[in-house]
Amino acid sequence: MKTTVAVAVAAALALPALAQQTPAPSWQQGKPAALSESTLHPFAPHMTGRSAKDLPVNTLKVPAGFKVEVWADGIPEARSMAMGDKGTLFVSNRNAKNVYAVVSKGGQREVKTVLSGLDAPNGIVFSKGTLYVAERGRITRYDGIESKLDSPGEGKVVVDNLDPQRAAGHFWKYLAMGPDGKLYFNIGAPGNIVLPNYTQATITRVDPAKGVLEVVAMGVRNSVGMDFNPKTKDLWFTNHARDWLGDDSPNDTLHRVAMKSPVPHFGYPFCHQGNTLDPEYGKNRTCAEFAKPAQLLGTHIAPLGMKFYNGKMFPAEYQGNIFIAMHGSWNRTVKQGYNVMRVKIDENGKASKPMPFLTGFLQDEKADPPMWGRPVDILVMRDGSMLVSDDYNGIIYRVSYAAKAGKK
Amino acid sequence: MIRPGNATALAVAFFFSAAAGAADPNLCAACHGDNGNSSNPAVPSLAQQPAQFIATSLFMFREGNRKDDQMTPMAKPLKNAEMNELAAYFAKQPAAPPRHKSKPESVAAGPDLAKKFNCSQCHGPRLLGQQHIPRLAGQQYEYLRVQLKAFKAQTRADIDGNMTAAIQAVPAQDLETLADYLAGLEAK
Repeated sequence: MKTTVAVAVAAALALPALAQQTPAPSWQQGKPAALSESTLHPFAPHMTGRSAKDLPVNTLKVPAGFKVEVWADGIPEARSMAMGDKGTLFVSNRNAKNVYAVVSKGGQREVKTVLSGLDAPNGIVFSKGTLYVAERGRITRYDGIESKLDSPGEGKVVVDNLDPQRAAGHFWKYLAMGPDGKLYFNIGAPGNIVLPNYTQATITRVDPAKGVLEVVAMGVRNSVGMDFNPKTKDLWFTNHARDWLGDDSPNDTLHRVAMKSPVPHFGYPFCHQGNTLDPEYGKNRTCAEFAKPAQLLGTHIAPLGMKFYNGKMFPAEYQGNIFIAMHGSWNRTVKQGYNVMRVKIDENGKASKPMPFLTGFLQDEKADPPMWGRPVDILVMRDGSMLVSDDYNGIIYRVSYAAKAGKK
Repeated sequence: MIRPGNATALAVAFFFSAAAGAADPNLCAACHGDNGNSSNPAVPSLAQQPAQFIATSLFMFREGNRKDDQMTPMAKPLKNAEMNELAAYFAKQPAAPPRHKSKPESVAAGPDLAKKFNCSQCHGPRLLGQQHIPRLAGQQYEYLRVQLKAFKAQTRADIDGNMTAAIQAVPAQDLETLADYLAGLEAK
């Protein structure tokens, strides 16, 4: 915000005619004049939730042999999921101030508020008895939380001051635990297409015991999903490309960073999808100087949570696949996404094109809104079944596989 | 449980009987007017507001994301399902014609300002609102002014910050013109 004011003041002083040209709002930055009549607008979740019985959940589709069912509803803006050692499912959101837990009570699933008063607590991860929560500006830890769900107390700060200027744009964070015991998270770009500062547009990690930040990847506009390949320990993450370059450009992307790699720069804001220069910021650059994405996922498809599948339930074909929740974007006249897709990784670590896995949320690609639900995060349960969160309705679905049903 | 009627009388009766549920729309009508058409310039109309917007506002009041001396305690006891019921009820009520008379210069400048500052992009070409985005056409004048200023001062926040970001570009004088223009606009 400081930057915005400074720019406006400078413009007014330098050239009176520019005083009327106020900076565009963060989600509008980079919108060309030709699209000034566009009525595309961001969607927002039903914060109060919608009951699964009022929704066309029976229109959801999974491959033969698989089954999808509603696992729990009534979880406001269900975003990221983390499973506790004792079977508590923690669920985050980014617009409320709470973290919720789904617990089993007498065979029934019950939703309860376990943490409150937080600031955009989108990122959660559970490790060795501790729940870590990434808020807008800090990461906190709640040790032994599962044995005191009714009074977890105040979180201990792992690191704070992550957003000192309360920057606009992509301020919510995803949180993952690395095989190195460090917490990995995104610091998003503060707008659609802007020059980030040194901490922004990065994947960053922190050792919870030390609280010192290390940048892992740069030039990442906004990642809201990451996981580690259980075989190679490489970090993989999803990334959202910029808006307002039309329906078919640029692609949202999947990226890989080897565990001991030097810090790659993936191009933002200069180069998109590894091969497309930005019309403004890319003028004096070349895409050759930047690291390439592992796969293009589709334009405005909004990949969020992603997980490697290593469970015992799904058939061999699905082992080691990356499952990606496509939230579906608003910035496209013909909408796509609103599904869960999978990407196969071959022996050389190459990622396949994404293939649909769970579909049916998208009803009318030209309607406003086009969908009745939006997948956000993926979690593989201990039995190998898969949970998918839907922030639009506050619902969690479970996908399971039964060999017999597959033989039809 | 949802029924139209002499809202004010019923709402007053509520305070003495406590027989009605917290989600009785007649209780809202005591301040927001019969069928959610406010006659107080400082109190917003709920009629013909998008259901998702009303429910989200109630949620934000209850959770403390949005604060108001009257609304915070009103939202406190409401469950999510009750918020959805109230929202569905008021979304169905037709908006009454606005009592506010806009200045001719606001009427002349308003449409261009609404486009220039991106109001119509989210609130719709006729500013009737959609989904989580409120109807501005015919909303109460004082309420609009106070809210627009609060967004600009960042004492009120919206979901995802789009409104906060949009209003920063609006000069104070244009903000006044927009409020005056919007308050007098028919909701159709």
